[in-house]
Amino acid sequence: MENKTIIIGAGPAGLTAAITIASRGHSVVVIDEYMKPGGRLLGQLYEEPNGNWWNGIVESDKLHQQAKKLGVDIKLHTPVSNIEVQDGIWSVHTDVEIHETTHLLLATGAAENPLPIKGWTLPGVMSVGAAQVMTNVHRVKPGERGVIIGVNVLSSAIAMELKMADIDIACITLPVSNTVNEKFGQPLEVMNSLLHVSHMAPSAFIKMGSKLMKNDFFKQLGITFFPKNGVKMWDIPIMLRKAVTEIIGDGQVEGVKISTINPAGEVIPGTEEIIGADFVCIAGGLYPLAELAAVAGCPFYHIEELGGYVPLHNERMESTLPGLYVAGNITGIEGAKVAMCQGQTAGLSIANNLENGILEKELVSSIQHTEHTRENAYIQFHPEIAHGKDKLKLYWDEYNAAVTK
Amino acid sequence: MSEKDIIICRCEEVTYSELKETARKFQCTPRELKLRTRAGMGYCGGRTCRNAVDSIALESTERNESQISLKYQPPIRPVSFGKLGEVIE
Repeated sequence: MENKTIIIGAGPAGLTAAITIASRGHSVVVIDEYMKPGGRLLGQLYEEPNGNWWNGIVESDKLHQQAKKLGVDIKLHTPVSNIEVQDGIWSVHTDVEIHETTHLLLATGAAENPLPIKGWTLPGVMSVGAAQVMTNVHRVKPGERGVIIGVNVLSSAIAMELKMADIDIACITLPVSNTVNEKFGQPLEVMNSLLHVSHMAPSAFIKMGSKLMKNDFFKQLGITFFPKNGVKMWDIPIMLRKAVTEIIGDGQVEGVKISTINPAGEVIPGTEEIIGADFVCIAGGLYPLAELAAVAGCPFYHIEELGGYVPLHNERMESTLPGLYVAGNITGIEGAKVAMCQGQTAGLSIANNLENGILEKELVSSIQHTEHTRENAYIQFHPEIAHGKDKLKLYWDEYNAAVTK
Repeated sequence: MSEKDIIICRCEEVTYSELKETARKFQCTPRELKLRTRAGMGYCGGRTCRNAVDSIALESTERNESQISLKYQPPIRPVSFGKLGEVIE
C-alpha cells in the first residue's frame, strides 16, 4: 500500500496542511465534497484595518495553486460518508472508492446553526452563508431585497458583502425568542455579544456605546434607549429592538412580519408591521462540523467558547486516536488565518511523525505562531476563545492522566 | 404568536409544539426526545434540526458536557443504494 496522507476538507486548514506535508516530500490526497477548493474561505471579502482587502477567492486560489504545484492530489465533489480504523490503518469511504492511510487529518470546518421561525420552510429562506456563497462564489443574486435575521459578526460581515454586490438589505434584525432561538432573540444578550467586535463598526454610536457599556447599568440603559428603527451600519439598519415573528409569502418569500420587542425580548402587542423582501437570510452562527470525528470514536467536550462540541485534541492537533489529526474550525470557531496556522501545525505534526521526530523545533514555533495569530485576529467569533482553548487543555490533561493510570 | 406550525424536523415533519409538548411531558434527554418524535431521524440525518432538538430537550434536562447528545452514525452523507450495494474491488 502506498501510504499517502489523507486530508478531509479543502479549506484553509486542509490546504495549508497539504502544502506543509507535500513540501516535506510526502504524498498527500485532499478530499472535499464541494466542487471548488477553498471551503468557507471562498466567500470571504472584507477590508482590513490597514486598508488591504482580504479576498477569499484569491486566497483560496493561491493555496490551490501552491498545493497543485507540489503534486497534491485534490479530489473535489467527493463526500466522505464514513471513516474507520483497523490495526492502525484508517479507511476513508467515499462514493467512488475506499482510501487507506496511516495518517488522517480531519479539516471539515463548521456548519451553520439554523434559527427556526414560523414560515422558515418557504422557498427564498436560506442561511446567511448560503447567500454569501451564492453572491461571492457563484455570482448569483439571492434576490433583490433581503431581510437578515440574527445579529452577529458573521451576519453583519455578509450583509456588507451583499451590499457591495448591489443587493438591497432592508434590515438586520432579531428572531422572535423561542426555546431554540433564545439567546439570539434577546436584545441585551445580543448587544453584549456585539460589544467585543465594536471596533469593526463604522458607526460612531456603537463605538462610543461600547466604551460606556462596560458597565451593566449602562448596558441596560443602552438597550432601553436603542433607537426603534435601529442604528445604521453601511447604510443597513441594525434593529436590536425588533424581531421577526413570521416569514410570509404565497409559495415563496414576500416579506416578514416584524414587531417591537422589550429588552427581555418579549413582543409588544400592536406594534406589528410588514417589511417586503424576496429573500430572507437566517444567521444563527457556526458550530464545529465534527461528524467524522464522532463516527471515529473521539472523545468530545462541549465548550461554549469554541462554538459547541469539539473532539479532544492537543496543541499538536493530534486527537486521542493514533494517526488521527484535526485542524481548522472542527477544533473551534475562528477565522481563516487561525485555521491556516492550525493546518500548518497539523501538517508539521504529521510530517514529524513520518520523519521520526526531526521537526520538533518547527512544530513548537508553529504552535506559538497560531497563538500569536489568534491574539491578533481582526474578527473573533467568541470573545473568550483563548479561555475555551485553556479548558480544552485541562480536559486533555485529565483524559491522559486517567488513561495512563 | 402561535408557534404551532413551525416545522423543526423537515424530513420527518415534526413541529416545534410537538417537541415542546413531548419534552414537557416526559422530561426527555435529547436522545429520548428524538426517539419519541422521530425528529432528526430522517433522510438528512438531523443535519438541520440537531441543535434545535438539543435545545428543546435541554430545557428540562442537563447537558452532558463530555458526550455528544445526539449520536452520529455512518453514512454521514446520503449514499445511493446503488453505490452502497456496489462491490468495490
